[in-house]
Parts: sequence; structure tokens; C-alpha cells
Amino acid sequence: MNIEATLVSDLLPLIVYFGAVLAVTGVMLGGAYFLGQRHSAKAANEPFESGIVPAGDVHIRFSIQFYLLAIFFVIFDMESVFLFAWSVALRESGWPGFIEALIFIGVLLAALIYLWSIGALDWRTRRQRIDAQKSGRRE
Amino acid sequence: MNSSQLIAFLPVICIAAAAVVVMLTIAVRRHFTLTCLMAGLGLLVSLLALAMAGRQGPVQVTPLIRVDAYGRFVMALLLAAGLAVIAFCYDYFKNREGENEELLFLILAALLGASVLVTSCHFATFFIGLETLSVSLFVLVGYVLGQSGSLEAAVKYLVLSGVSSAFLLMGMALIYAQCGQLNFSGIEQYLASQELFNGMVLTGIVFIVAGVGFKLSLVPFHLWTPDVYEGAPAPVTAFIATVSKGAVFILLLRFFLSSGGYFYGPALTVFSVMAVASILVGNVLALLQNNVKRMLAYSSIAHMGYLLIAFIAGGRIAPNLVVESVTFYLVAYFMTTLGAFGVVSILSTPQAEAVALSFYHGLFWRRPGLAAIFTFMLLSLAGIPLTAGFIGKFYIFAAGADGRLWGLLLMLIIGSGLGLYYYLRLIVVMSMSQETGIDAGHEAAFGRVSSVILAVLTVLLVWFGIYPGYLMSLIQGLY
Amino acid sequence: MIEWLWLAPLFPLLGFLILILAGDKLSGPAVAWVGVGSVGLSAILAALVGTAFLSGDQVPYRLVLGSWMVVGDLSLPFGFYLDALSVTMLFVVTGVGFLIHVYSADFMADDAGYARFFAYMNLFVSAMLVLVLADNLAMLYLGWEGVGLGSYLLIGFWYEDPNNGYAARKVFVMTRVGDTSLALGLFLLFTQLHTLDIQAVLRASSQWQAGTWLPVAASALLLGGAVGKSAQLPLQTWLPDAMAGPTPVSALIHAATMVTAGVYLIARTHTLFTLAPAVQFAVALVGTVTLLIAGCSALVQTDIKRILAYSTISQIGYMFLALGVGAWSAAIFHLLTHAFFKALLFLAAGAVIFCFHHEHDIFRMGGLRKAMPVAFWSFVIGSAALAALPLTSGYYSKHDILLATFDASPGLWAAGCLGALITGIYSFRLVFVVFFGPERPGVERAIGWRMGLPLLVLCGLALLGGLLRIPLDSVFPVAVEAHRGFDAVSGITLAAPVAGLAIAALFYLTGTFSVRRLVSSGWGRGIQNYWFSGWGLDSLYNALLIRPFKAIAGFNKDDVVDAGYTAIAKLSLGLHYLTSASQTGRLRGYAAAMGFGAVLIIAVGLLS
Repeated sequence: MNIEATLVSDLLPLIVYFGAVLAVTGVMLGGAYFLGQRHSAKAANEPFESGIVPAGDVHIRFSIQFYLLAIFFVIFDMESVFLFAWSVALRESGWPGFIEALIFIGVLLAALIYLWSIGALDWRTRRQRIDAQKSGRRE
Repeated sequence: MNSSQLIAFLPVICIAAAAVVVMLTIAVRRHFTLTCLMAGLGLLVSLLALAMAGRQGPVQVTPLIRVDAYGRFVMALLLAAGLAVIAFCYDYFKNREGENEELLFLILAALLGASVLVTSCHFATFFIGLETLSVSLFVLVGYVLGQSGSLEAAVKYLVLSGVSSAFLLMGMALIYAQCGQLNFSGIEQYLASQELFNGMVLTGIVFIVAGVGFKLSLVPFHLWTPDVYEGAPAPVTAFIATVSKGAVFILLLRFFLSSGGYFYGPALTVFSVMAVASILVGNVLALLQNNVKRMLAYSSIAHMGYLLIAFIAGGRIAPNLVVESVTFYLVAYFMTTLGAFGVVSILSTPQAEAVALSFYHGLFWRRPGLAAIFTFMLLSLAGIPLTAGFIGKFYIFAAGADGRLWGLLLMLIIGSGLGLYYYLRLIVVMSMSQETGIDAGHEAAFGRVSSVILAVLTVLLVWFGIYPGYLMSLIQGLY
Repeated sequence: MIEWLWLAPLFPLLGFLILILAGDKLSGPAVAWVGVGSVGLSAILAALVGTAFLSGDQVPYRLVLGSWMVVGDLSLPFGFYLDALSVTMLFVVTGVGFLIHVYSADFMADDAGYARFFAYMNLFVSAMLVLVLADNLAMLYLGWEGVGLGSYLLIGFWYEDPNNGYAARKVFVMTRVGDTSLALGLFLLFTQLHTLDIQAVLRASSQWQAGTWLPVAASALLLGGAVGKSAQLPLQTWLPDAMAGPTPVSALIHAATMVTAGVYLIARTHTLFTLAPAVQFAVALVGTVTLLIAGCSALVQTDIKRILAYSTISQIGYMFLALGVGAWSAAIFHLLTHAFFKALLFLAAGAVIFCFHHEHDIFRMGGLRKAMPVAFWSFVIGSAALAALPLTSGYYSKHDILLATFDASPGLWAAGCLGALITGIYSFRLVFVVFFGPERPGVERAIGWRMGLPLLVLCGLALLGGLLRIPLDSVFPVAVEAHRGFDAVSGITLAAPVAGLAIAALFYLTGTFSVRRLVSSGWGRGIQNYWFSGWGLDSLYNALLIRPFKAIAGFNKDDVVDAGYTAIAKLSLGLHYLTSASQTGRLRGYAAAMGFGAVLIIAVGLLS
């Protein structure tokens, strides 16, 4: 049995897999292309919203804080998932596991302190913050 | 985890702790110099911990991490490079507006990733280390938002790095699918039990090569290099060029040495093709380049190609020889690259990055010391005798000759010949008369800390170039 | 005392360094003090060392100063070796050198490059001392190349005139032919004997079978080097051109010292030559032919310095003849006396040129007897010694050579005697034409004491130098001296130069015969022109070597090889533009390229 033969036989599943991937995407795109109807009417490219004519722009600008908070949520949420895993195996992991969890929580805490102090949790724009400071001083 | 494991792992823990401490320092008081000091101190403590571990034998810290003398040496090299980069950052950022303190945290995080990378013995740590490194780099590259191209570079690096990670994961998956092992030594055992080449494993290895080739900017995965080098702030460019590439290369070497990748002749053929292409394309692209950062980027592509020659020779010669030549070359490359980008970073002002060739007109008359250092660095890059770069190239040559890789050595010679042109061109430009140069109003401030680091690097460069014996004896016992 | 020997080459070297580094800042007298003084110190040291050595038991003395280089089994110490032979050379180089330096202090006083001149002269003396004192062949070669460099620099000293530059270049290239041969000889000796120490080489080589290829090849290669340096056939054509340099240079380098280096080399390695009788005979033959050819050329020259140059070639021919017939000490003795009288002649010629508004043509001079008495008597004494008239120094040495030659080969002896006759003719032709006859005005200035004194000292040495015979029996095998009485052979030997003097007198003094009548016939003129051009060897080399070389160079004018390199450069440039096009800066292109590249390398991996 020579090497190339081995290669081909070993690779056969892979090749089949690649082929399948291509075929599936091809069928999906091509099927839609061939089976789909084509209109050239005036409102054909409008989004369909139950008969109501869409208004405004889709490009709505969210505050950057929105994304920040979303990211923080994801991060801290995901990290608590790790703690779940630990709590399930609390007895098996014993003291070393406890210490490791402690370190983990400590790091999270440090990150939280950092975020707090740089004002990342503050839902105000810079402008608003400056205004608040001014009014605070006036009072 | 027993005490010897703790001692072995202490340097990595120190870096992580330093990162947390730096973060808290920023939370308490936002002060750039203080933050730099803390970060530098953290690295020093970590280096101290490395020294404490000393000549401890190989220690399997966890199933994922294995610390041996070689890993420790490379880690020390990475940390030292980190220190130099922090020094460059200090002078580069101290007079700039904006909140620059997080930079140090990111550098520490990247170093943490790199350290994990060079001690990993498992695909998990391979990937985690690489991603920690990369994610920190994305932000570092785009750190100076105001600078043209910085954000663009960061986005490019992010997207392409994502592509490369996909390749990497695919490769790991293929190997796992065949071997059922994620552990390097487990893979080796599996491969040793097979008599024939396995197409799945080979494809997996080639995928991993593709992923790693991106980080090392090997042709054909090199296209991002000049854009990112140009867009990133100069100290960060130095960081990418040294720490990121060095750590990834060491990991690649370790993977091949400990998982039996060298059994796979076709993988070495792939590497040979990439080495030839990298040497040729890198040098050819650099020829007429008028942007110093881009030129150094192209030259780094070629240098990675040279380094691959020693790597490929591992298929024919003893592993300790490969490790020796690769490590020496890396040390020389680190010093030289840090020095070159250090000069660029000192010369850069908040208004303009010192990248245009015209910026260097008559540098010998304006800043003789800096120009002399730059000249040394360029000569070392070109592999001129009496510099460490020459000894490094000599090592590559010796390894290649031992492995009878004549074709690749021919490329090395051709590449070095081409390289001379653009390195010497820059030296000539620097020694041209003052009048044509840039007016003195744009002169950068005198970066004291960086200058000290540069002087040390130059001395080391020449010292290792004339008496390489000390460094050689240090490296010889590593593997 | 002897252990201070190493200072001898050091003084001139220091002088050279001072003058080349700070010469511009020194005043004229200071330059003279440094330049002359350094050689003076060397000369004093040489005198002390030499007398200490000669008054002792003359055991060869070795002085190792340190290691020069150690590579593999090649170990070269920085060492000096002193025996009777090197003492003789030491005396010649420092003594005559010092006198010529004193002379130059006046002669060159008006020259803009005064400091440069003395710097080069000191460098030359230093290198020459290294050559003669060298303990190993590599150091000898160092000195050998050093004197070559000094000679090159000094011939081209007046570099404003391109002709001087050409002359210097010609000399350098021609001697290089010999140097290459010498270097090959050294390589051969080293590969066979694994040492370059001269004494060790001589000891080891004595194990060789006489006449086998090894000694023959080694000595032939050394002879090649000697022939180049000492201006013997076929490499003698450079010496007349070397006269482009200042006259003291001609006196020191191209008469007294450097050109005799070949003689010294052969004498130094004489055991090698005795092992190769064929080569030794070749030495004698080269010497004989050279002395005749050069003598004939000297007969017809009109330039005062070229006459002396040809006579130098001819006299070195005598030395080679002596070496060839095994009369080693006679050769060295002639070297010594020749250094005296030839330096004297050159310096006197320099004085004439100096005072006679830089005129070189002897037929434009005349009757200088009264105007320049010092030069006149110098010339008379020098010419007498050159022609080997009895009781002069030249007589003792040349007589020895000719008698020894007769014992070896009567044919060569006859040629030698013919040469002696010719020597007599041309040397006194010079004297009669320049100093006798109708007086011509034009003497511009008198010579100062600094030029006069060396002339007087050299006059004394040229007359009495025969008494200075340094015993060389400790170096050379004792020749079986034929103590012959006064017989026909020695009579003819004695009479030949006298006859030459008489012929010269008949032609040029009394005018009994006329040269014009001789050359009026066609073949006479032809011979004159032929001899004048140095037997046409220059044109021969021109036709045989230079023309073909230039033709090849012309063929390669557009540099066929360089076209290859240009093509590489063009190719690189093309590739540069090609690959640059790939750097579009577009992210999608980069990502696509990565995917494409991955497919490519997978293909390479799977198909290979």
C-alpha cells in the first residue's frame, strides 16, 4: 500500500465532507435563485411590514455605553458559568479548587473595581457628566 | 500543585498578578509614569522568579503546561523584550494626550499569553495562549486612534487573525479526530504507533502551519504585515515583531519536536516552499520601499524565512542543534529588531511617525549616536560580521549545511545579497548631507530611557557578535 | 646588546608613523630630523649590534618577540634572526640608507611633499629591515611586500605627472609576477614541510634527494621571486622605468637595497638551491645573460639615470652568476661593495641633475670637471669601482666572482669578462662625456654639505670597501678557494675593465674613433636602437602579453559577466513591482489570499 493510496483513502471522508458543504450551500443559494420569483414592481424591494410603509433609517446610532454594558454583561455572566461548574464539583476539587476559585473571583473583583473607577458603568455621556459636575458645584 | 510546580509556574503567575496590580493602580490613580514603573517592576519580579527557578529540571505543572530550561530561557527573552518595549512606550507616549495607561496592562496581558505559549504542551494552552496574545495585540495595534491607519491596521489584524485562528482550530480538530489526543506527547505516541503517513494528520498539520504561518507572516500569509507594522505605534510594532513572532515560532518548534511532526516529510516540504517564498518575496518587496516601517516589515518576512531553514533542518539533524541555532538567531533578531524599532520610536513625534525615508536624511549629522545605533542594527539585520546577526546567520547556515539543504542555503545567500541593498540604502541616506533632510523644527525630544535601552542593545549586539561564546554556552545546555 | 635588535626596524616605522600622521604640522627641519634621525638611530643600533655580534663567536641569534599568528599547524612567531649574512645586510640597509637620507634632506628640501617623502623612505627602510632580519618566510614575505609598496609609492612620488604614475604601476605589476612565484614557493614549502621557519625549512629540506622534483620546484619558484625583485631576465624591464622616482630613491631602493633582495633570498635559502643543481645553473645562466644584455643597453643610453639603472641590472647579474656557481660569499660581498659604489654614483648623478637644472641627457652636459669637483671625483671613484679597476672595492668582489666562475665554467667566465669589458666602456663613457670635453655653462647652484658629506663618505667606502669583507663562513659552506697565482686567467680578468676604460677613452676622450661612424651603417644603427630599447623586451611583452590581454578585455568591454548581475538586478526589480501589486491594502483581498494560500500549501503537502 503506497502512501498516496493511503492518503486518498484517509482523506475520503474529508473530501466527502467538503463536497457536502459545497453542495448544501450551493443548493441553498442556487435553489433560492432558481425557485424564487422575480418581480420588478416598484415596491418589490421594500421590506414587508404588515402593510405599513416603513419609515426612518435602519442605521440607528446607539450610545457606545449600550455596547459596553452588553459586553460587561456577557463577560461577567459567562464567568459565573465557570463558578457553576466549580460548585457542582466543590467537594471533589477540595481546598486547591477553593483557592483557585478564590483567585478567579478576586480577579473578577479587581476588574469590576477597575471598570467602576474608570467610569465605564456610568450611563452618561461625557457631556452630561461635565454638566452634572457643574450643577453639583453650583449647589 | 506541589512546591516545585509552583516555583516553575511562579513567573507566569507573577506576570498575571502584575497585570491585575497595574489594572488596580490605574483604578486608584491614573498616572502614566507610575503605571510604567509598576509594569516594569512586575516584569522584573517575574524575571527574578525565573532566575529562582534556575536550572530546575523539566516540570509538568499541569497536564497543559510543561516548564523546562528551554521554555524558561525563551520566557526570559520575551520578558526582557517586554521590558525594552515598555521603555520605548514610556518615551513614546509620555507627551501624548489621552489615556495611555491601559497600554501597559495590555502589554502584560500579551506577555502572559506569550509565556503560556512557550510553555504549552497541549492544544488547549496552545490556543488559549495564542488568543490571549492576539486579543491584546488587536487593541495595542489600534491604540493610537488619532493616528492615520492605526484603526485600519487593528481591524485588518483582527479579521485576518480570526481567519488564521479558524485554520488553526480546523487543524487541531483534524488531528484530534485522527489521534484522539490533544496532548503533544500523546500525538507523538499515536504517530509512532502508525507505520504509514496519515492524510488526516498531515492535513491537520498543514492547517496548523497555515494558522501559525499567519502569525509569523510567512508567504503566502504575509500580506497583513506591512499594513499592520505601519499602522501600529512604533513600540507596539517592535512588540509584534519580536514577542509575538518569537513566541509563536518557539511554540511551532516545540510542537514539531515533541509531537513528531518531523516524521511528516510533506509538512517539511510545505515549510521549504514557504521558506523559499518568504525569503524571496520579503526581500524583493523591501527593495524600493521608502517607508522604513514597511521596509522592516518586509525584512521581517525574509528573516522568518531564514529562521525556517534551521527549523526544516530539524528533519535531518539532532534536535539540540536545531534548538541552538533557532534560539541564537532569535536572540539576535530580538535585539536587532527591538533596536531598529526603538530608533523609529524615539524619532517619532506626536505629529508624525518617523517612517518616511526622507526623515532619515542626514541623521548622522543631527543625531549621530542614534544614527550609529541604527546603523549597527541594520548591519546586524544584513548579517555583517562583528554583529550578533552574523553569528545568527552563520548558525542557520551551519544547521542548513548539516541538514544538506543546499537549495535553501542558496536562497539564504540570494536573500542576504538582496537584503544588503535596502539596508545599506538606509545607511547611505542617513549619512547624506544635512541640507536635504527635514528641518530641525520637527525634531523629536530626547528619549532618555529608550536611549539607555538602545545603548545596552547595541553593546550586547556587538559583544555577542565578537564573543558569541557566552551566549552559545548558555543556549547549548537548554535542550 | 643584540637583544635590542628589534629596535632597528622599529625606529623607521615610528618615523613613518610620525611623519604620515603629523608631517603637515612639522616644520621642514623637524621633518628632516625625524626622517633622518630615525634611520640614524637605526644605523647606530645596527653598528652596535653588528660589532657585538661579529666580535662574539658569531653563533646565529634568534629573537622572538611574540606570536604573529597561529592557525592550525601553522605557527608564525614575530621573530628576528641574526647571523653574519643578516648583519651584512643590516649594515648595508641602515648605513647606506642613513647616508642617502642625509643627502635627501638637502636634495628634496624644496619639494612640497618633503614630509611625505621621508615618511615613505622610512617605511621602506623599516620594511627592508624586516625582510633581511626575518626569522620565517612569512615575515620575509611581509618585508618583501613592504619594500614593494615603498618602491611603488616612491617611484610615483611626483604623481602629478601621469607618466610617473604609469611607471610606478608598471614596476608594481612586474614585480608582482615575481611575488606570486615567491608566494607559490612558500605554499609549496609549507605544504611539504609544515613550517615556514627558515632554519627549520633548510634543515628539513636537506633530507630531500638532490635533483628530485621537490627541491627543483621549490627553488625554481623562489628564483622566480628573486628574478622579479632583482630585475633579472626576463623581468628586468621595470628597473629603467623605476628611475622616474627622485634620485635618492633610485640610489636607495633601485641600486643599493631592494633590488638586491633577490640575491639575499637565494643566499638565505642556498641549501635548497644546492639540492637543485639544474636550477642553480639556471641562476648562473640568468645572471650571465642579464649582465650582457643590460651592459649592452647601458652602452647606448643617453639618460644618465638609465645608464646607471642598466648598470645596476648588469651588476646584479654578476651577483646571480656568483650565486649560480656557488660562490655565495663572493655574491654577498659584491652586493655590499655594489651598494657603496652604486649609491655613490646615483647620488653623484643626483648632484649633477640637481645643479644642472634637472637635465638628464648626458650629451647636453660636458666639461663639468671644474664646475663640480665633488661630483666629478665621486663619479671617477664610483666608475672605477663599478668597472672593477684594481684596488677599488669593486675589484675585490668582482675578481672573486670571475675567478670562482672560471672554476665552475670557463664559458660563463668568458662571458663575465666580456661583461667586465663592457662595464669599463659604459662607465667611463659616462664620465668622459659628462665631465670632459668642452665646458658647457648651466651649472645653477652648488651642493650643500648635507649632499657633499654622504658623497665623501661613500667615496671612501667605494675605494676602501674591499677591506670591509665580513666573514660569512659561518653561514655558507666554505668554498674550496683556488689559491691561484697570477696566471693568464686572472690576468685577463684584470685586464678586461682596463681595456674597457681604454676603449671609452679612445671614443669619447680623444675622439680617435667616432661612434657616429659606427652607427652610420644600417646594421650599426639597428643594433643601437635595439640595445637602446633594452633589447626590445618591452615591445615583446607588449605584443605577447599586453595586446592579447587588452584584446580580451576589449572583447569583454561591455562586461559579459556583469550582464548576468544586471539581469539579476532587473529580475529583482521586476519581481518587486509584481509583488508590490499584491499589497493592495484591501482586507478582502488579503483574506482571500490567505484562503488561497492555505489551499495551495495543502496541495503541496498532499501531492509531495
